[in-house]
Amino acid sequence: METIKISVRQFTILVILFSVGSSMLIIPGIIAKEAKQDAWIAAILGVGVALLLVKLYNVVGSIEPNMTLIEIIEKVLGKWVGKIVTIAFLFFTLVTSGEFLYFVGNFMSTEIMPETPILAFNILFAIVVIIGVRYGLETFARSAEIIFPWFIVLFVLFIILISPNVEIQNIQPVLEIKTKPMLHSVLLFISVFSLSPIVLLMIFPIAVNDAQQAQKAFFKGTFIAGIILVIIITLTIVVLGTEATAHLMYPSYALAKRIEIGNFLQRIEVIMASMWIITIFFKLIIYFYASVVGFAQLVNIKDYRPLTLPLGMIIVVLSIIVHPNIVESIQYNNGSWIPFGATFGLLLPLVLLIVAKVRKRT
Amino acid sequence: MWMSVLIVVVVVVMFTAEAIPLLKKGNIKEFRVFSVLLLFGTSLSIALSLKVAIPSPIDWIEFIYKPLTDWLQTTLK
Repeated sequence: METIKISVRQFTILVILFSVGSSMLIIPGIIAKEAKQDAWIAAILGVGVALLLVKLYNVVGSIEPNMTLIEIIEKVLGKWVGKIVTIAFLFFTLVTSGEFLYFVGNFMSTEIMPETPILAFNILFAIVVIIGVRYGLETFARSAEIIFPWFIVLFVLFIILISPNVEIQNIQPVLEIKTKPMLHSVLLFISVFSLSPIVLLMIFPIAVNDAQQAQKAFFKGTFIAGIILVIIITLTIVVLGTEATAHLMYPSYALAKRIEIGNFLQRIEVIMASMWIITIFFKLIIYFYASVVGFAQLVNIKDYRPLTLPLGMIIVVLSIIVHPNIVESIQYNNGSWIPFGATFGLLLPLVLLIVAKVRKRT
Repeated sequence: MWMSVLIVVVVVVMFTAEAIPLLKKGNIKEFRVFSVLLLFGTSLSIALSLKVAIPSPIDWIEFIYKPLTDWLQTTLK
């Protein structure tokens, strides 16, 4: 592999955009269903757990600071077991990339351009992602650096514009929730928000120029992304109320539709859509980058670029076949995704850590 | 049908743009991996365009994790 280095600042921004990613549109609805008006408390707890998981990823990353996750797996678990685990991991990243692509197409075709077939969005978006990955990590990290201020401006603008619609009684009574729904909603929040940063171990710490600072950046990025999500969840509840939030597919998008300033500034929900497209672009590109680089390392080839086109084709097909309809996608995200994500986001790093410790001792 | 023809055309373009240079540079391994993946992608796309039912990998995941998922959902109810 050629040595590519991104700065700590770029890494922080990637972590933020990656973690906010798909979560921004989907999380409010998922957790409002369980936690009702206390969803924001569940989200805050979830961010706390997420920071613990980041600690775990940091430790796993520092087993071998000069290797990607795939190389760590192969070194720690040995050649054959390593290969099998790697194949399972690549299956995870590829299927999930396909799923994100499905989200993009589904969102665009249900909310913005209903006449266009979903395949058109998926192919266009996949082409952009493929181009990004072909240019390499450095390039898309730099583009993240350029786009990030815009994301923040849009986000702040969004908060200011929506603030007149806030009705604080929507979150009352506070803390009425029982333990089990609380646990469930925290679990749902973690499963979407903080199990996927395992994929970032493909670029961290190997591709970041200062490994020590990068660990802090990982925490900082996750924390900022967590705050952004908590704000969005709280806003959807105080503006839309719990019932509407729980029943809408894209509550934060519906939230943006409520913005109306003096009869002339209205229907600006595309602000929300563009924020979401920016973040899911970076989430998808990192997943896809991880799949492509991981695949190249699995079959031991030096340059990952030739693999981008065929794998891109495969994720487009995956994006069409993963979910037959939106109901199944919700069921999957609330059901099997939790253990599936936890296998790679929690079990895999734990196993790596334990095996590495045991091996060091003998 | 036309969709499949279009896919084949796109694939041929991809192949000439990507695989021929690899062969010329003598990267046999890259060439092989690329061709196998491309063949796989092409067959999937053509199957999709002919409306053949491709099994979704999500179904496998749901099958494997079913006991765990059920357990989670009953304990957290």
